[in-house]
Parts: sequence; C-alpha cells; structure tokens
Amino acid sequence: MLRKAVAATAMTLALVGGALVASLPARAEEVLVGAHMPLTGSLGRSGQAFEAGMRTAIKIFNDASPRTKIRLQVIDDESTPAAAVSAVEKLVSEKAVAVIGGYGSNIIGPASDAASKLGTVYITAGAVSDELTARGLKTFFRINNNAGYQRGMAGLVESVKPAAVSIIASTKEAPILLARGLEKDLSAKGIRVTVHAFDPAITDFKPLINKVKLQDRSEILIMSAYENDYVGIIRAAKVLKPPLKLVLGAWSLATPKMYQEFPDLMNNVVGTSFLPFPVEMKDQEGRRFAEVFKQLYNKDIEYLATLSFVETTILAEAIGRAAEAGTLSTGGLAEEMRRTDRKTLIGPVRFDATGDNPLFSLSMGQHQDGKVVLVAPPAAATGSLAYPALPW
Amino acid sequence: MTDLILQALFSGVLIGGVYALVALGLALSFGAMRIINLAHGELVLLAAYCAYLVETRTGLDPYAAIPLALLVVAGVSAVLFLMIDRIRQDRELNSLILTYAVGIILTNAILLAFASDVRSTASPTLQDAVTLGSVYAMTGEIIAFGLSLVLMVALWWWLKRSWYGRAVRAVSSNRAAATLMGISPGRTELVAFLVAGALASFAGVALYTMSVIQPALGHALTVKAFVITVLAGVGSIPGVFLGALLLGVTEALTVTLASSALQDLAGMVLFLVVLFLLPNGLFGARARRG
Repeated sequence: MLRKAVAATAMTLALVGGALVASLPARAEEVLVGAHMPLTGSLGRSGQAFEAGMRTAIKIFNDASPRTKIRLQVIDDESTPAAAVSAVEKLVSEKAVAVIGGYGSNIIGPASDAASKLGTVYITAGAVSDELTARGLKTFFRINNNAGYQRGMAGLVESVKPAAVSIIASTKEAPILLARGLEKDLSAKGIRVTVHAFDPAITDFKPLINKVKLQDRSEILIMSAYENDYVGIIRAAKVLKPPLKLVLGAWSLATPKMYQEFPDLMNNVVGTSFLPFPVEMKDQEGRRFAEVFKQLYNKDIEYLATLSFVETTILAEAIGRAAEAGTLSTGGLAEEMRRTDRKTLIGPVRFDATGDNPLFSLSMGQHQDGKVVLVAPPAAATGSLAYPALPW
Repeated sequence: MTDLILQALFSGVLIGGVYALVALGLALSFGAMRIINLAHGELVLLAAYCAYLVETRTGLDPYAAIPLALLVVAGVSAVLFLMIDRIRQDRELNSLILTYAVGIILTNAILLAFASDVRSTASPTLQDAVTLGSVYAMTGEIIAFGLSLVLMVALWWWLKRSWYGRAVRAVSSNRAAATLMGISPGRTELVAFLVAGALASFAGVALYTMSVIQPALGHALTVKAFVITVLAGVGSIPGVFLGALLLGVTEALTVTLASSALQDLAGMVLFLVVLFLLPNGLFGARARRG
C-alpha cells in the first residue's frame, strides 16, 4: 500500500515538474562578440565614444531579442596595431563569433587581416582607407568610407562656387587620402585647389595659415585632420585672419562637444554630420537610441557613437538571423551580413562584394550659435548655410 | 615672400621659447644628475591639466594655477626622486626604465581623471592677436616666451650663484669629493629634482594657455625636450634656450619654404647634423674646448 502511494506521488511530481519545465521559456543562447577599441593612447577619445555606441546597441538588441543574447567583450588596443592584432587573436580564441574593429586604417588593416585568417567576421566604422576593401577579404565589412566623406564635403563646396580652396591635411592615412580625393574632385570642377600636408606633430599652424593668407588667397579653408589639429588651425586663423569665407572640416568637428569645449572657435564652422543638434530623431530606432544612450551615459549623442551604434546593430541583427537559422557556428554569419539592406541612422547600408557600403554618404552640419544645423545636401538640410561666415 | 619669412622667423622664435621652457627641467636633471627623466613630459602635462582644472572650476586665469601646479608636480617629482634614489646599480640605465614606466602610469592616470578630450584655454585675453609690424602672435605665446626667458635667467643664476646651485654642480662633477666637502648628495639631488619639477609646472601652465593638450601628449614633449637638451650640450642652460630657438626657427622656416609635412624631419636632420659636427652639442663642445 505504502509502496503504491510513494510510486503514485513520485509519478505525479514528475508529471507536474515536467509540465512546469516545459512551460518555462527556452533559455536564450548567449553569443560572444569581441571588440578592440583604442581606449587609451592617441586615439583614446575616439575609442571611448565608439564603446558607448556599441554598448547602447547591444543593450537595445538584447532587450528586444528573446532567443539570442549578445555578450560584448572589449579589449583596449592602446591605439597600436600590434595590440589590436593580439586582441583579435585573444577574442577569437575565446569563441567570439565576430569582432568589431576600432579606429584608424593603420590599425584596422592588420587587425582585420588577423580576423580573416581566423575566419571570423570583422566589421568597422573607423577606417576609410580604400586599400582595406581592395584586399577582397570575405569576412571584412565596413559601413563608411572615404568616398562618402568626399561626396559630402565636395558637394557643399561646389554649391557655393568658390574660385580657390586651400586644404590643410594631416599626413595620417585617412586625412591625406580625403584631401587628395577632394583636390581631384574640386579641380575637375574648375576650382583652384592648394593642398598643404602637415606632420601630426605640428603645434603651431601660423606659418601654414600665413601661406593660405598671402599665397593661396582662398575663399574656403578645408581641414582634413583631427580635433586637436582643428583647434590649432582655427586658432592660428583667428590670429592671422586670412580673407576666407568659410572654414570646413571632416570628422568629429560638427559635434556639440566641440562647441561646448571651444565656443569661441567653432561658430559657423562646418563639418560632416549625421544628426542635427539638438538631436532630432525622426524614426523609432533613432528615438530608442537617444533614450538608451541618455539612460546609460547621461550625455548627448556623439558622431562616433552613432557610427558604432549602427555597425553594432547591423552585426547584432545578422547574428540573430544566423542563430535563428542555426548557421552561426558554420560560417553563416558572413552570409547574413551580406544580406543586410536597411535604412539606418547614417543612411542606407548594404555591403558589396568587397564588404564596403557603396551607399554611404554624409550630411554637412554647421555650428550656429550652439546648434548644429544640417546645411547640405538639400534633402537632409534642417536650415540654411551661413555664408560667408567665419568663427571670428 | 618677405612677410612670409618674417612671420616664420617670429613664430619660430616664439615656439622655440616654449620648447625651451619644456626642456629646462629635463636639462637640469640630465645635466646635474645624469638622470634622463622620461616622465618629464608627463609632469609638464600634469601641470597643464592643473591649469585646465583651475580655469574650468574657478573661472580664474590659467596662470592662477601655478601654485597648485607647483604643489602637485613637486610632490610627484619628490616621489619619483625617492624611487630613483633607491636604485643601487646602474642608476643611469635603471632610472631610464623607471621614469619611462612612471610616464606611462601618469599618462593613464591623466586619461582616467580627465578623459581623452582635447583641452585648451578659453581665455579670450590669452588668445587675442598681438601685431608687431607685419607679424602676428597670440598674447599667450608672448607671455610664455617672456616666462621662458625669465626662468632661463633664474635657473642660470641659481646654478651659478646660489649655494644649492653650486652644490648641484659639485655633486654632478664629483659626487665623492662633494660629500667630503660636506654636501649631502641625496638632499642636493632632491632639491635639483624639485626645481626641475617647478620648471615643468611653469611649462605646463604656459603650454595650456597657447596650445592644445591631451593625455597622449606627454611622450612627444619628452622627446622634444630630450632633443633640445642634447642639441644644446649637456649642462648648458643658455644652450638649451638657443638650441630650442634654433629648432623652432628651423621648423617654422621648413613649413614656410618647403612643406609642413617635413617639419619634424627638418628638426631631426638639424639634430643629427649638429651631433655629427659637434658631438657634445652646440655649447657642450665650446665648454670642452674652453
């Protein structure tokens, strides 16, 4: 009797337990994604902005994805190629399904080579050199490129029809590539272009600006450089006051942070941009990005954070699709990346056979009394270009 | 063309003055103690961030940060010296490794504390243009140049005339003989290190008022200071000033007459040519002959 009662109780418990387990949601699959970022060293500022965008994208993806959860592991590449390569090798050895690259073509080149040799998908938003896509790596993807920056800047310059333009360009790979491309584009349109390449170690730009003032006599000064250079160049121009009509720059210039730090130098300066400031998000994805970014970092969205948000979102979505199809461990991720074709915060993204995004194009933003107003192309404009207009 | 060259010469002299300001501290520790302080650039940078802190938190002029910078940099210099003083073997080589490591630690400490953003003064007065005939400069640059000149004279006077200055030179020439004369080498070197720290403090604050700072800048400052110290000839304080001016003018003329991309190359070529012709540096050779 007792034996029967025990057996019946055990059977009941087993049935109830089984039913309970069956009713629980399936355990989400955790996938490791690696990233190497220049969190310290000369590119530290860029790396930190990138990391913020990545973490925001991962949080939004994980919150919305019941089946696949992504764990992000970021390694500091110290702004050096050697540390970036060893970071990639370490991340892949720890079973990362993909690696998000840091900043700088000279770092991304060897790091993505290492990822390719290990058969791992590598995506970047921080390297614009044409040589990267010319290698034809099957696992390499990037969302932005030199051609997009060139189109955006050349379009604005052509629209104001200057007779002469001076380009001051750092000899680092990406800035000099952009400068040479702009020189070719603008010269073909009949504009007289003078390029002044400068060593990144330069701190006093007055002799250079004096050449712009006394020899070039240009109407537009284009800066193809980085933040510290912009400050030095504009400050020297403010002292020497060359007869310009507009100062124009490339990346990381038309940002609220630059205006906050250097309000006396930035007004009327134009730079590449995706978003106006104050940020106006027109779609659901943008609004969610702004909300989560604010919640995580309590600061305004930065240009580089937007880029890394987009690249990470695209990668996360491809991982989700590959996991759903069960091809994540069998090389399906690269295929899913190639299927990407969507509108993002930086415009449409699609990858060609070389892994490049041929649709990448940029808007131009102008600092106007603490706001960043999109002034070109006309389709994206939120205001009109102040011209002639200088910071002094 | 004349205007271009005049501006280049003027800008070269001004930037040379700032190079001299950055190099004086390193020249003192190298000349007096044979210690190449590879953290010197980071000490300068630390002072520059003190100026940033004071300007942004209090709204005062960056030069008001000098007392704070002196306190912070002298403190770090003292700790650095106490570490170097514990080295018992191959002091010149081991201090090189030690100060290099301290430089890395300081860079990352600055990065943690201040983030990697670029910083510079917001003072409109310091950024105002000063016109002298057909040449231009910022007020901040003129002040930094004047400061460099004053500190160079003060350091030269201190080394030649003060008791501690003479003690530093005595320890540098013959440590054992100096000890026999009643000089404490440890204390003398500590004083020399503190003076080098004080010079770095002034240099950092001046740098902040006329240029852009960021955490990765320290190493480049050390390299520039080292080049000037060797170019001048070890132990020559006026030589540091003249060597720095020569470097500044060479760089500015290269930008004007050739290409700005060749600026650093021209500086290094000058350095190598001088060392090839005068292995003891510009003023070291004269001192040796004299």
